[in-house]
Formats: sequence, C-alpha cells, structure tokens
Amino acid sequence: MPMKQILSELIRKEAGYLELRWHKRTSNSFLATKGRVDVANHSLTEGVGVRALVDGSWGFAATADVSEAAIKRAIEQAKANAGLLAKAKGAHHLELRKGKLSTKDFTGEGFIELSNMPIADKLGKIIELEHQLAKSSSRMHTARARYTEYLEEKAIVTSDGANCSFQIAQPEISLSAIAEKDGQRATSNKGAGVSGGWTCLFKHPTLDHMVDDIAKTSVDLLDAKYPEGGRKKVILAPAVVGLLCHEAIGHTVEADFVKAGSVAAGKIGQDVASRLVTMADSGHETIAGYAVGNLPFDDEGVETENTVIIKDGKLVSYLHNRESAAEFGVNPTGNARAWLFSDEPLIRMRNTYIVPGTSKLSDMIASLDDGYLIEGAGSGQADSNGEFMFGCGHVWQIKNGKKTALLREATLSGIAFDVLKTVDAVSSEFQWDLGTGHCGKGQPAKVDAGGPYIRCEINIGGRQQ
Amino acid sequence: MSTSTKDTILSLGKKLEAAALDTLAYAQKQSADRSKVTASCKVEKRLVVENKQFSLANTLETQKVGIGVHKDQKKGSASLNNYDQKGLRQSVDDALALAKFSVPDEYLTMPDSKLATTAKPLPFMWNDRTSSIGLGELQEFAQAMLASLTKDKRVALDRLEVSTTSMWHGLYNSLGVSQSETQTSLSWSFMGMAVDGQDVSGFDYDGRSVYGWDGALDIALKQCEEFSEKIIKNLRPQKSPSYKGPVLFTPRAVEEILLGTILYHMSGASVMDGKSQWNEKINSEVISKLLTLNDEPHLARFSGATSFDGDGLPTVARSLLKDGVLMTHLHDCYTAKRCKASSTASSGGPFALVMKPGQGDLKTMMNARSELLVVDRFSGNIDPIKGDFSGVAKSSRYFKNGADQGAVSETMIAGNLFECLRQILAVSSITEDVSGAMQMPWALVDQVSVTGN
Repeated sequence: MPMKQILSELIRKEAGYLELRWHKRTSNSFLATKGRVDVANHSLTEGVGVRALVDGSWGFAATADVSEAAIKRAIEQAKANAGLLAKAKGAHHLELRKGKLSTKDFTGEGFIELSNMPIADKLGKIIELEHQLAKSSSRMHTARARYTEYLEEKAIVTSDGANCSFQIAQPEISLSAIAEKDGQRATSNKGAGVSGGWTCLFKHPTLDHMVDDIAKTSVDLLDAKYPEGGRKKVILAPAVVGLLCHEAIGHTVEADFVKAGSVAAGKIGQDVASRLVTMADSGHETIAGYAVGNLPFDDEGVETENTVIIKDGKLVSYLHNRESAAEFGVNPTGNARAWLFSDEPLIRMRNTYIVPGTSKLSDMIASLDDGYLIEGAGSGQADSNGEFMFGCGHVWQIKNGKKTALLREATLSGIAFDVLKTVDAVSSEFQWDLGTGHCGKGQPAKVDAGGPYIRCEINIGGRQQ
Repeated sequence: MSTSTKDTILSLGKKLEAAALDTLAYAQKQSADRSKVTASCKVEKRLVVENKQFSLANTLETQKVGIGVHKDQKKGSASLNNYDQKGLRQSVDDALALAKFSVPDEYLTMPDSKLATTAKPLPFMWNDRTSSIGLGELQEFAQAMLASLTKDKRVALDRLEVSTTSMWHGLYNSLGVSQSETQTSLSWSFMGMAVDGQDVSGFDYDGRSVYGWDGALDIALKQCEEFSEKIIKNLRPQKSPSYKGPVLFTPRAVEEILLGTILYHMSGASVMDGKSQWNEKINSEVISKLLTLNDEPHLARFSGATSFDGDGLPTVARSLLKDGVLMTHLHDCYTAKRCKASSTASSGGPFALVMKPGQGDLKTMMNARSELLVVDRFSGNIDPIKGDFSGVAKSSRYFKNGADQGAVSETMIAGNLFECLRQILAVSSITEDVSGAMQMPWALVDQVSVTGN
C-alpha cells in the first residue's frame, strides 16, 4: 500500500490535530580531485515524522520504522509530548491558519530520468570533468569536481485535509580550481543546482563553458590585484543579488525571526528599498527556468505560492507557516520546511529573487564612471539588525563606462535596507544562480536565489595602509 | 525511564554490532577486498523555546549504519538509517557498484587489529543520571534558563533548545578491528538579540554540551547571564575608527579566525595535496612562539572526547604546536600512507583542542594600545590557502586608551593570517572553554586592517 494511503488510514482513527509526514531521501554524492575519487557514496534515509497539536501545544516524534505499529507508537509519543508541554508554564497556545491545503500527487521533471540513470554514467562524468579541468592549464594546482543528487519522496497527511505526495529530483554540480604561479595561488569556482534531471542540470546557463571559464579565471586571478576598500558604486551580478536577497533580506522577513524582533518587524507598509526594487520568494520557477527551490507544497501540506515581499520598494509581506500566519492574521505562504523526517518544519525560503527591471547590463556599465562589477557568490551571513556580509568570487573594475581589470575576491557588507535604497538601475537580464549547497538554520535546506543585475552602493572590505 | 533509555541503547548497540558483523561477512562473500561498518544509535529528548515560549517537545530514537568497501584498490560507500539485513546487504551491493566505476588508488588502506588495538573506554562519557532525564526535568532546566535569559525585558530571545542524548557507536572492519563506546550528553543552545525601542543589537548565540547532569544548570545559568549582559551592551553600536594595527581576539574569535588556518596547514589531507604551507616543517617554528596547542581527546570537560578515531585507532593526547614549533601533522591512515608517515589517530579529529595560556595580563593587553578593537565574533571569509581574511567584526567593541567606547557595527577587519600568526603580541594568562569543545586564550594580534569610519 502506498505510504500516503497508510498515513491517511492511520490519521482517520485519531482525534485532534495531527500531521504525518513520510519522507524517503535517496542521495548519491561524488567528489573527484587530484585524479582520485575521494567520495563515492550512496545514502538512503526514510522515516515518518509526527506532529501533534494538543491544547495549543506542539509535540513531535519520529520513527525510522515505517510499519503501521511503529507509526502508531510515534503518534502516541507525539501526543504525550504535546500534552506535557500544554501543561507547562509559559506554553504557547497556538492556532493554525488553514491556507490552501494540497491534495495533489506530483512527480517533478527529471525524477524518473535521474532515478533510472546508471550510476556509472554520473560518476564517469564527474571524473571526466575533474580530469578536463586538471589538464586545462599548466598552472592548475588542484581541480575538484563535486556532484550531489537528492531524490526526494514525500507524503503529507494532516487531520484537517492535506493529503498529498511528491517525487522531486535535485541534482547539483560544482567545479573549483586552484591555479599556482611562483608560490602564489588563486581560486575560482562555479556550480549550479536545479529541480530537475541530469539533462536539465547541464542546460543551466551557469554551466556553459564551465571548465574553460573556471580555468581561465583562476589563472587570470594570479596576476590580479585586490579591489580598493570603502563604500563603492557597484553592479551586482545575479548570484550576488541572490545572496543579498536570501541572506540580508530573506532571513529578516521569516516570521519566526520577525517575532523575535528582526529589523523587518513592524515595517509592513513602509518604504524599505528603492522604488525599482520588487522582491519575492517563490515555490515555483518564475521569470526563468533552472531553480532548485521548487516545491508543489510545503511540509505542512500548504500549496506554495509566489510571495511578494517588497513591492516597488515597500515591504508588503513576511514568510509564514500556518502558526505564524494565524498569529499575524494572514494566509500561510507555504514556507514550512523540514530537512529530514526527524526534523520539525521551520520557516524557510525557497527561490528568492528581485524582479527584473528595464535597464540593459551594457547600459548600466556604460553609464558608470568609477565602480565595480561583482561576480560569483561566496558564503554569506546576515544579522538581525540587517547588517550583512558576504564574499564574492571576483571583481571587474569599471572605469569610464568600460570593464577594465579583473580583480581578486572581496568581502561586501552593509545594512540591507539601506543598500536597497541606493539601487538606481535594475537589468532586464535575469538568472537563478544560488542552487548549490544549503541554507543553514538549525537544519539545512535546498534553496535558490537570483535576480537581475542591480546597481547600488555597498561597502567593500579592503586593507588600511 | 532511566533503565529503559540505558537498556534501549545497550540493546540496540548489541543488535547493531551483530548487524555490522553480518554485513562484513556479506561484503566478503561479495568479494570485497576490505570493508568497514560504522554504526550508531541514539535516543534524544529535546525541548524548544521560541520567542520566550515553549514551542515543541520532541523525542527521537534513530540509528545510522555506514558501509565502506575496497575492491581492486577502488572504493565506494553507502549508508542507511536502519539495520534491516536486506537493506544493509543492498547497501553493500551499492557500495561495491560505486567502487567498480571509481578510480584505482594504490594508497587505499584500512588498519588491522594489531594497529587498531582495543581502545581503553572513557567512563566519564556515559552518565546514568543524564540518560535518565525525562522531558519533565528537562523542562524545569529550560524554564530556569528562560527565566535567566528574559530577566531583562530588552533581551529578545529567538530560540532556546535543551536536549539530552544517549548514544552508542561502534566501528568494525574486515581486518578484525572492533571498537565501540557509549556517550550521554546534556546540551543547550540559545540565540537572540537585544531590542530597545527602535534600536536592535546584533544577533548572537551561545551554548554547550556536557556529559553529566550535576552542576550543569549552574554552568548554563552563568552562560545565560553573561549572554544577556553582552547583547544589551551591544545596543546602539557605532562604526569603529579605521586603523591598521593590533586587535584583541577573544577566545571565541581565536577559534573562529585563527584556528581554522592552523588546522588546515597541519592537516594530513592538505599536506598530501600540496596545499599546506607547513609541508616538511615539522620541528620548525611556523608561528609565534607564544602559541602552544595540544589535542587532548580524553579530557572529560570537552564534548569531543573519544576513545577511538574514524579509522578505529585508539586516540591519544598529542602536542601539535609547542612554542610556535610544528610538532606533527594530523594524519588518518590514508593520508599517512600517502605521506609515508604514521597515523596520528586523527580521522575525524582533532577532538579536543587546548591552546595553552600565555603570560599576558588581560587588563594590560587592553590598556596597552591607544586604539584597540576587541573582536568577539567574525562574519566573513578566510582563504586558508593564501591566509587572507576579510569580514565584519561582530559583537565587538572599540577601546580608546583602555576605555570602552562601546559596541561597533559596520566595521570590517582584514589581513593575512600568516602575518597575524607570526606577529602575535601577547597571549592572555587566562583561558576560556569555547562552546564546551576546546580551550582558547585571548590573543593580541598585530597587522590587522580595521575599516569603519
């Protein structure tokens, strides 16, 4: 019997609110470097997570044993845990906003293709890419190719009507290179992830000419200087815009964080960005294809939507689960996500982006006298007060409207809403470009982000003489 | 509950051991040249407080089994989260299938039972009292922490988690290696900021893990008090003046900024791949004489203690850096074979780092400079290969002639860690335990660019 049906029959016999979530993740990961295969791993994780709401309090339990008897035990344990909390001093008596609960069964593009593809072909391609990169230049010190795929299968049943399942595939690949000359080293990397199959992954625009691009950039960076530190006029590429959206704004508008007092608290309806900025978080690919954070519904069974966060510079929405939606008196936005069956759902982003504008990148560069084009997203973090920091792969100097010298990586920082208020141009070109790796918030999550090119003012970390 | 959690763990441990040995036998039957099984089970009880209110009670019982095989000097691995025989045997087949399409590597190795002798147990790692704690007692513990953290209304607590874990883990290989140990832990973590009207401080977090119950609440409450005091002091930050010169790293900043680069260049993997600047530097002075660093995996006060490493070798205390001199690289069996060295039983390590105190008086270190940024956390990028670092100084304060000028924001620090590590001006005579995982002193470090106003 399919797991969704088993969960449906179990929940029918229970009183009170229950949420049953079966999750099976099959993953393969490979890492090739220096002519070796350091990682060739296959992993399977399966189980059922149970959330019970008793007298306004949550209890959670999970079991890796997916037999009916084991799930029943987990249900009893979750109820007991909720009951204990309900009696506690300070227990939060919460309510849930229903939202649009899904009853769909969904199989994502590429799931079947990736599931059926021979492992030898996947591993062989990664070994070949590492080999090509290693041989691409006499200055290449280390080449590395990493591939991870998740085949996700979920069924979610709640006692108030969600009854849905999905199968989605999330492959990702990244290449990195370290070039060396006279003891000096420079690094470059590129990667992409999609919600789709193998064919879809290798059509991602970021991966066009990836071996040649990474090799050339890493070698060229050997002779590059660092950018000058200070507050600068810059054009941010889609990957960096995505990082800004995700780290600096996205986390501050997650409703749990808003309740804790983030800088976005109480700012609904206020101008927080230039009127050129409209920003959203979507459970679907909007504007362009090749995003990884696509989900038909979230882990509470709520159908995902395109949630506009900032419209024409004004803050219009936070990101919600069913609980925070009830508290804020709005509809849930489908942002409740759990990493494993044994994790409880948290408010997380999906595909976060700035809506493209009308400018052309070439015109944005041509009209900039002195500044930088920032490309390649590194790691990033943001604070509750909106202060953010993130790294970028490399920088192009722009002088008198022309790209001149390639410069080394830099660290960017600022106060998010202040930076968005300085945006004076938004390009019509758009790309998803943050689909590798994971967002961390206690649990990992696969997310994507991207956008157009935007021109703004930002702090660049540099050296004092 | 006490006996049941302990009994559950011990009983599951026995089943997992039997499953591991059966899996090794199956791998051999399937013509694996060598195979290894790691297995673990744990019972976890966890309480979550969000926005000053209890929001979730959680109990979990989980298992994990990992299988690694070598065939014709090629390797593959697989893992699953149960110990069902059919699933384990399928995992062996999956691992062998991956090995078949992998690349031959003449250096692949596994230790035998002569090298990986039975590790001496560390009895302090298991505490019956901790394993017996129920959700009710855990709730009282969390309630006390919550009261302490929210005594001052300006503290906006985002999340508090308190949990106990009772676990067993074992490692077995086809060459006769057999190791296992049990462990309990009581852990807590919290994160939040201070909010005073429109003023929001930077976000911060703290937490730690201990093996035993006795005295744990006192440790937790002291941490809560210090945390509240610190984030409230971080309200109304200003940009620091810009300068190039010394900054003072707190023990947490020493761990966040300096330690990663030290460990990168000490690592056998970096040496093996030609990425370490400390290749062939054993017994040479590589950093300031003021720094001495040991790995002490048998220390009861650190959460990373373990009796055996990821290859199954018994762990031992080691001197890593003595007065700035590199004493060893950190090798597992594979990197050791590649580098023609011996394993230091460091697979998965180092485990419990102890940086020794210096001679510096902290007050003197703070007063000695006309301007000084005291950095507590770092949000930025460190390139361990080149040593360049650049990022934002978080939870940090600016001092002028020894007087605290307040918290800073939008203040970036940058420099080169190799230069910094050679130009350490002073190391404090006092040390702190960072997150219950390691001991670090304060360090006054020169040649750092501070960019604020």
